[in-house]
Amino acid sequence: MALLSVLHYPDPRLRNVARPVESIDDSIRTIARDMLETMYDEGGIGLAAIQVNIRQRIIVIDLSADRDQPLYLINPEILHAEGAEKMQEGCLSVPEYFDYVERAERIGYRYQDLNGETHEREADGLLAVCIQHEIDHLDGKLFIDYLSNLKQQRLRKKLEKQERQYAQVL
Amino acid sequence: MNQPPIQTRALATEILYRLCTESVSLDHLFESHLKAVTGNREKAFVSDLCFGVVRWHPRLDFYLQQLLDKPIRQKNLKLRLLCWVGLYQIAYQRTADHGAVSATVNACDALSLQWAKAMVNAILRHFIRRQETIQQAADDNEVARYAHPAWLIQAIKTDWSDDWQAILEGNNQAPPMSLRINRRRTTRDEYARLLQEKSIEYREISACPQGLILESAYETGELPGFNEGLVSVQDGAAQLAAALLQAAPGHRVLDACAAPGGKTCHILEREPRLHSLLAVDIKNARLHKLRENLERLGLEAVIKTADVTQPDTWWDGEPFDRILVDAPCSATGVIRRHPDIKMLRQPADIDAIRTVQMNILDSLWPLLASDGKLLYVTCSIMRRENDEIIGNFLDQGQNVELDLIDQCPGTRTQYGCQILPGQQDLDGFYFARMKKIR
Repeated sequence: MALLSVLHYPDPRLRNVARPVESIDDSIRTIARDMLETMYDEGGIGLAAIQVNIRQRIIVIDLSADRDQPLYLINPEILHAEGAEKMQEGCLSVPEYFDYVERAERIGYRYQDLNGETHEREADGLLAVCIQHEIDHLDGKLFIDYLSNLKQQRLRKKLEKQERQYAQVL
Repeated sequence: MNQPPIQTRALATEILYRLCTESVSLDHLFESHLKAVTGNREKAFVSDLCFGVVRWHPRLDFYLQQLLDKPIRQKNLKLRLLCWVGLYQIAYQRTADHGAVSATVNACDALSLQWAKAMVNAILRHFIRRQETIQQAADDNEVARYAHPAWLIQAIKTDWSDDWQAILEGNNQAPPMSLRINRRRTTRDEYARLLQEKSIEYREISACPQGLILESAYETGELPGFNEGLVSVQDGAAQLAAALLQAAPGHRVLDACAAPGGKTCHILEREPRLHSLLAVDIKNARLHKLRENLERLGLEAVIKTADVTQPDTWWDGEPFDRILVDAPCSATGVIRRHPDIKMLRQPADIDAIRTVQMNILDSLWPLLASDGKLLYVTCSIMRRENDEIIGNFLDQGQNVELDLIDQCPGTRTQYGCQILPGQQDLDGFYFARMKKIR
């Protein structure tokens, strides 16, 4: 197992679109497990392969307090979505920034597990939000894209400033 | 994705704010507010902050008054609550003082109290410096010393001139976790062995043949045989009701204010050969707990959601041999378990509750068979809800006589038996029994 390095906004590689996984073999399983380890290490609840610069449709999620109920979603798809709910989100690729995003409240989704078997499930609450957030990543989208232009501008300025300070330290 | 770090102090302040402004119980607020908190440590911390602040708020507010030139205005209630949260951590928790100050000051951001940051900082730092003097002053002030609102101290003094200090101190103790062994499925000795196997420390409750007190609290899932119905969680004082009801084989029993059903289940556990038990409660939402418990313990009862004071809407006309009236009350006997009562209860509430109590007795008495008995129970320590209610009812003389409780494990009163909070490590309960004469 190995820790992967997570890309940070505004890295353009976060805009890449992932392609479907064709065969779920040992190399995919290794990537998924490394992603999980990376997510635990960074303190996240979900991670998409695009965030570690792997352009395949792989997501890992764990919402449990004890960090012992991992979900591996290969080729996830949303089948239907209902309702609307605003929840405060953050992202390992946009460190230390949190804001409210409106998403569907309930979803039905389909995915393959690490053995290649297909499942169809329903989700609501935090899990529904997290799946929508991660599938966005696979399509090159970030949660901050949903914010107003003004908020996005301010965020970019803040990050640029951090970058400058960081450069000075170096 | 990741989630924002939880501002535990801000969350506790929000919960306390809703407690003050909406008069909803802490238990209820925890259900809605702590659901989104995933970390168990954070959950426990927020709940300890809330319970602690609520339990000690009259004392915390005294500290605050000592630290301010003029009191915080009512429109800044949130700020006052946040100050209590900060003071509680310094006075009662083992958090390092500087950590408590900075975390409490930072919580201002999440509460839109940015303007008050310097003030919160100053208040908490002053408290750390002057703590010894302020604590001493608090011990000399009755409200701060006993940490109860002044009206409640006065009311308890009036009713219990010898015991009021012990009662107030008992109310401020953290309550034990008490168990009731299901004697249909096991015995207390057998269950004690299961606890020993799991190294769970316990002691017997002398007043309750099925009662055990655990030396520390556990989740019910951790208790051996809980899901298999060997045991329930119930305070020892509440366990006295079933025996005092004296239900016998063939009896029709009415449990008039049954939810959440601890006493209902105990009556059934004690006497498997009843003719029937009807459990009524006005709140349907509270009855699902009773259904769950009946199923878990393998017991059966008829359950109805109804207003007991309107018998024509639910009574089939067959008189009852036993009626248990576990009446709505001020709950002043269980403040150690529900410290929010100190904040929620108002002096005028007692009169309103008395009307309900008298109404229930008047409505149910006609449903009792000749020679039948009615057991009146409250978790109150106020004479006006206890002996006075029974005295009034006996004076009306509708075929009624007192059936004196001969073995009282607490304090004998004119008509009944009062357990004072903390007495024998029990909750504060009142019992009186009346008999219908021909």
